[in-house]
Amino acid sequence: MNAYNHLSAFLQGIYPLSDAEMAAMLAVWQPFSARRKEILTPEGQTERYAYFVLEGVQRACFTHPDGRDITLVFTYPYSFSGIADSFLLQKPSKFTFETLTPSQFLRAPYAAIKSMMDEHRNIERLLFRATAVALEGVLYRQAELQSFSSEEKFRALLARSPHVLTLIPHKYLASYIGVDATNFSKLLNSIRIA
Amino acid sequence: MQYNTHVFLNELREQAETHLQMAIRDWQNLTPEQLGQTPTPGKWSAAQCLEHLNFYGRHYMTACETAINRAKQKGSIPSPVYQPGWLGAKFTRMMQPGAKAMESPANARPAAQPDAIQMLQEFIEHNEKLLQLLSQAETINLEKVKAPTSLSALLRLQLGDTFAFYLAHQARHVLQIQRALGA
Repeated sequence: MNAYNHLSAFLQGIYPLSDAEMAAMLAVWQPFSARRKEILTPEGQTERYAYFVLEGVQRACFTHPDGRDITLVFTYPYSFSGIADSFLLQKPSKFTFETLTPSQFLRAPYAAIKSMMDEHRNIERLLFRATAVALEGVLYRQAELQSFSSEEKFRALLARSPHVLTLIPHKYLASYIGVDATNFSKLLNSIRIA
Repeated sequence: MQYNTHVFLNELREQAETHLQMAIRDWQNLTPEQLGQTPTPGKWSAAQCLEHLNFYGRHYMTACETAINRAKQKGSIPSPVYQPGWLGAKFTRMMQPGAKAMESPANARPAAQPDAIQMLQEFIEHNEKLLQLLSQAETINLEKVKAPTSLSALLRLQLGDTFAFYLAHQARHVLQIQRALGA
């Protein structure tokens, strides 16, 4: 499958589009690649693109006033990426979007997505549904953060994304779970023994 | 010997990327005990090699970043070709794997049992930084911009040579880490 087939399959999975709608939608996406640890959207800048991940891992992070950076979410193939709230609202981002490994994307500028939504009712429905699914994920993660122990959060992460241990530097996983490097190493040991 | 600057930087980037991938895919999934094992008495463990590399990482990542920022402010312009300096090239050759073994300076010798997890995390951070600096280095002149060595602030090498020499040294110890881990 080429890049556009992946995007097409992904979009059809969210909401069915006619051939004409799909062709119009696919036409606004362009290939884009980035090296490891490239900042694609710095904090304070408005997200200009919707990204569709073809290869690599990325993260959105929040910089605490004391300087620590906290990983909020990882993205992998095949899914949307970028700072969704900043993109949809066209407001400056409170977060930083960066690659964690060399990455390949398709991406579409805001103006093009906006005109797609204005012209095609089904594309608007598709993006409404994609936003709802993202919200579902965010609320579930919120529940996890408030109720799970570190070990439960660690296990939930590995259940969702078992490949991350050999793909992402553990400091980012540790910050996603909310533990330091030493405690992360202990969590890792606990699953080795189990 | 002259290089195409873009190719020169790309090769360095690939080298750093390879080292980083070993650390992420393999080393970080080992236990602190495995990383702390010495292969034979008197030889360094992986954790000790990492501490030794971090000693240089602390110096060179800061020194290179400072040099790049200063060069950007002065409006340094990149050149399509890169010519290593004679001293820089000599340093790189001395460091390359296979070159004669040498004694590390006393201040770069690691503790008997460094914190393996901390050392590995720091190694990964230095290499992520290195990749970012290698990208930024595309925008400045790698010959004219110089960075101080860890030996002396007075002994300065071309930035391109600093990167090459740093990575040659790292490659040498990455092999040593693999030996220590029995890979």
